[in-house]
Amino acid sequence: MLLPPPCASDPPLSPSPDALRAVAIWALQFTPRVTVSEDAVLMEVESSTRLFKGKRALRDRVVAEAAELGVAKVSWATTSLAAHALARANIENGFKKPLPSLLDGLPMECLSAVRPHLTTLAQIGCRTIGDVRALPRGGLSRRFDKQLLQSLDQAYGNAPEAHVWEVLPDTFSAKFELGFRVEHAPALLQGARRLLLQMCGWLAARHAGVTAFTLRWWHDSMRSKDAGEGGAITVGTADPTRDIEHLCRLLAEHLSKVELLAPVGDLELSADTVHDQAGSNGSLLPDPVHDGESLHLVLERMAARLGPDAVKRCVNLEDHRPEWMAHWQPAAEPLPRKAKPSTELPQPTWMLAKPLKLAVRNHRPVYQGELQLLAGPDRIEEGWWDRDEATGESRHVVRDYWLAESKHAGLLWIFQAKLDDGAAWFLHGIFG
Amino acid sequence: MQPPLVRESHSVALVGPTSPSQNAEPTIGQPLPACVEAALWHGDQLGGAVAEVLGSGFPSFDAVLPGGGWPCGVLTEVLVSQFSIVELRLLSPVLAKLTQAGRTVVLVGPALAPHPPGLRHDGVDERFLVWVDVDTPRDRLWATEQLVKAGSAGAIVAWLPLVRAEQIRRLQVLAAHCKGPVFLCRPESAARDSSAAPLRVLARIQTDWQITVEVLKRKGPPLEGPLQLLSIPGGLNTIMTPRLRYPSRLVPQVFPQEPAHAVDSVVAAASVRKRSAAEPQS
Repeated sequence: MLLPPPCASDPPLSPSPDALRAVAIWALQFTPRVTVSEDAVLMEVESSTRLFKGKRALRDRVVAEAAELGVAKVSWATTSLAAHALARANIENGFKKPLPSLLDGLPMECLSAVRPHLTTLAQIGCRTIGDVRALPRGGLSRRFDKQLLQSLDQAYGNAPEAHVWEVLPDTFSAKFELGFRVEHAPALLQGARRLLLQMCGWLAARHAGVTAFTLRWWHDSMRSKDAGEGGAITVGTADPTRDIEHLCRLLAEHLSKVELLAPVGDLELSADTVHDQAGSNGSLLPDPVHDGESLHLVLERMAARLGPDAVKRCVNLEDHRPEWMAHWQPAAEPLPRKAKPSTELPQPTWMLAKPLKLAVRNHRPVYQGELQLLAGPDRIEEGWWDRDEATGESRHVVRDYWLAESKHAGLLWIFQAKLDDGAAWFLHGIFG
Repeated sequence: MQPPLVRESHSVALVGPTSPSQNAEPTIGQPLPACVEAALWHGDQLGGAVAEVLGSGFPSFDAVLPGGGWPCGVLTEVLVSQFSIVELRLLSPVLAKLTQAGRTVVLVGPALAPHPPGLRHDGVDERFLVWVDVDTPRDRLWATEQLVKAGSAGAIVAWLPLVRAEQIRRLQVLAAHCKGPVFLCRPESAARDSSAAPLRVLARIQTDWQITVEVLKRKGPPLEGPLQLLSIPGGLNTIMTPRLRYPSRLVPQVFPQEPAHAVDSVVAAASVRKRSAAEPQS
């Protein structure tokens, strides 16, 4: 049995039950056998070592993530009480030497059961756990309570241990009080990362991924009157994920746009929409496809920074007017399964946002030199039913499209339209 | 058969660096065996493919590219005099091939809006096309860098009008993890500056549906003279007539000038009047 008890929070202060509970929820991703005992969280990980690629890999991961959660010390031993005692004595590895020789050398107050009798034991000359253990068993059980002898036996592995295991909650919502007041939104990320780490642990334990989560913050009590209680942002992703790095980067992009009205003291994170997500299959051969960040994650992150309308995908519409032939929508929105048919007539590859009125010289349109009309006209006369609701302008289009060649600007898609004061030429697209 | 081959290749490898004069004429005496000849790279030859390459769709252009196509995992600079008039005529065959294979092509900050019906005529499937609509140089570079760093796009085409040499070098280092080609479209004026991109081509439009491509930099000797490529935009094939095939023959050498209907200078008007008065007499 392998038991790391992370002593949560700073040693001088006893950690709050909420903080221990938060660490316990995070720890549930490694094993279902997690328990909170006094100022520590204990977990039994012997049966999970293979799933997490061996003891060393598991230890590295637990230590790295526990440090981010504010855990003071992580220790390992074959029994939970021994691991707890080692953590108090600031020793990490309980496998370096045989357990009895390690435990014998520890100060006796490392064992919780010794603490009520600390003065008595000190007065009879005990300093270490080994000293207490060396006392005659009969005398110990007569003069002290049952707990002392029992926990000595349990710590050395001579008696069985029993724990009440933690149960995974159905929903995730965690609070965190920042160590200092934060005035700039991007700095909230440091505290939020801690909450995200807990959420990812909770998601991994439930075999689920999140598609939307909310970060709330509360201003501290010294705020100005008009600042209000606090604020919240909801961050969504297209696919369920529990990848901490992706969620962090996404949140960072959203936070960079937030302006805080007052210093923030508390944070709360809740998982809003949770979907089932199976873990990835381990593969013998390295998979070449998954070694980089996948494209939709990058696009999502770019959309978070540049705005949802900046990253676009296209849907073809069945319309003959070039402006409404294609609709660009945010990349996160789903595309139709089948591509819609599009026109067979020639179309340019680039379109101007607004047709550009061309100068006319000698009755010929001019754009970077005289234009040579090559093919046409392609008459588009449509849209009499269509009207822009906002401005009330008609979108009726009567145009003769021509393919024109310019010596310097290449192949152009220009049209002639009837205006009030005669006909005019417009540049609308480029065959580029 | 085997032992003499090994001995000879050893002798080449040892003698070469010690006496440079023998480098100039390596074939004097005995000719090199075929396997050694194949493994040797001469400085005046075209370099081989370092990574995977994708055919450009123009066989004569592939012939002058190292490895025979657009290289993946490195930067390729496409220099143009004006944006959006020639880039896609050069790149659309490779983009079409990638999108048809289901790989996503990302366009970062093109000068104009892409028009999917036209792209579809070129064979580009618009379902695998992403348009990143950014404007400022900072956002363009940031978006390009994120995509190059992730390296999972089928191809990246980025329009970077303002970019410094060290930023290109940074992109080039990041591009090593990229699976697809990375095209940077830059203005023609950048041809004078040095660049970390291993392949740089300059594209210009010509009449008669041609484009000229100059390879400014490649692994191998510089290419002499521009290359003429026939590139008819997709969709125009259906309306192509023999007369349209050579637009240059349609262009009159001098555009017909309108006769002057009015003369606005007093001196000129007087001379015109004098001339018209003199004409009936002669």
